Amino acid sequence: MAVDWELIAFFILSAFEIIGSVLVVINKRLVRAAFWLAMTLVTIGVIYLLFLSEFVFLIQILVYAGAVPVLMVFGIMLTRRKIMDEPGQEAPE
Amino acid sequence: MSAPLIPNLFAVCKVLVAAIIGIVQSIIYALSGPIPPLRGLGDWLGLDAVITVVTYLIVVTIVVLWVTVLNLFTVMWVERKLYSRLQDRYGIMISIWSLPFWPFNRVHRPTHKGLGYLQNLADGVKLIQKENITPRNADSAMFHISPVLIASSTLMVFAVLPWSSGFYVANLDLGILFILAAFSLAPLGILIAGYAANNKYTLVGGFRAAAMLLSYSIPMVLAVIALVVFTGTLDPVKIVQQQDRPLVAFGTTLPLPAWYVFGPQFLGFLIFSVAMIAEMERVPFDIPEAEAELVEGWTTEYSGMRFGIVFAFKWLRMLAACALISILYLGGWSGPVFTTLSVGGIPVPIVPEEIWFLLRIYFLAAFFVVLSWSVPRVRIDQILNIGWKRLIPYSLLAILVAAGFRVLG
Repeated sequence: MAVDWELIAFFILSAFEIIGSVLVVINKRLVRAAFWLAMTLVTIGVIYLLFLSEFVFLIQILVYAGAVPVLMVFGIMLTRRKIMDEPGQEAPE
Repeated sequence: MSAPLIPNLFAVCKVLVAAIIGIVQSIIYALSGPIPPLRGLGDWLGLDAVITVVTYLIVVTIVVLWVTVLNLFTVMWVERKLYSRLQDRYGIMISIWSLPFWPFNRVHRPTHKGLGYLQNLADGVKLIQKENITPRNADSAMFHISPVLIASSTLMVFAVLPWSSGFYVANLDLGILFILAAFSLAPLGILIAGYAANNKYTLVGGFRAAAMLLSYSIPMVLAVIALVVFTGTLDPVKIVQQQDRPLVAFGTTLPLPAWYVFGPQFLGFLIFSVAMIAEMERVPFDIPEAEAELVEGWTTEYSGMRFGIVFAFKWLRMLAACALISILYLGGWSGPVFTTLSVGGIPVPIVPEEIWFLLRIYFLAAFFVVLSWSVPRVRIDQILNIGWKRLIPYSLLAILVAAGFRVLG
């Protein structure tokens, strides 16, 4: 029986990507959400690699995985951390 | 003009692996008389796909060991010994003569008076023995995943970095772009490490590191663009081949090689080198771990071998940066082969490309060490000013100059 390894790899990557993007949305800690976002973007890049477009993969890694999550984490860290941690309780200022 | 010691690492390893697997296969076939199911295993081992996969694993292992065991230890030794000599002291001195058993502990030989090459190994063993402490209130998962992120993204550089025209894991058409992409993955790990330790020094260090690395990766990429206007390719092997010819011959004896540093790319070379010093967080730009203000920067809370990983990663980046500078601007591994020896019918160059490449790498490493231990540290706002207001306009100018020379011929 011939096994279509590319299809299997695509399914595994898609599963990673869907799990990662769901975790981006439901995660209460924003830094972890940014981390899962990085994972999602890298996985999308690897799917590009599966489609044999190396250049798009490398640009995806260089721009999206390298810079976008860092900017996100920057923005998050410059705001108050308590907001999402404890729902209903604003940090006293 | 130049010749590699290993013409093709993958082919050499494949021949060896096929030979070893052939031996194993014949043993398995011999055993399959009493145990018949082993015959299928023997058939499976003989498949070409299996041999290729095993060869890739072996090649990756060889290159990782070559990078981390040999070159990482050597570059650490060069740095620690050289800055000690710059400060007029002996520096590290633990060598093989410090081992406490027979052939080494000779009576008339002081135990701590070697060259110090094994000091880093001793430090590594010490770090492995230490406890791995997680700070209270730290984000434990993130805290432990960021050294892995940092180290693995830096090791990814060496997947495509060629050490000669035959000594590499994979040779991509877009190799330089891959190296730059792998370089640009580290800031996320650094920022997460700084955040997750729940310590204000690490947080400030991570902020500074990410700001600096992000802003210096822009002139780095722009300088490479200025070079690519000239080369027309992103394949490191082809870029080195283009530089492997004489540019101007002074008389008949000493030709000036056609390295890209000689010519309109000189500005790009300067920009790329400065950006690389920032990328490897060395002293003029080591504000992320300014030990006078932040204890140890973003690495403060790490202990044990995790500290070893995040500390050694800077030397890995230094190796990658020196290799990249020499590939792009200094002619890579090109150099004369004075004569070849014939070992069993195979011509072996007496000064192979690997030696020329390592000479360039360690010369650049020594230069960066001397530079970083003789200049003061730059403030964070000055670093960002240099990056955004000087280097980026100059790198745009470098692209303009390169494009102009390209158009005019």
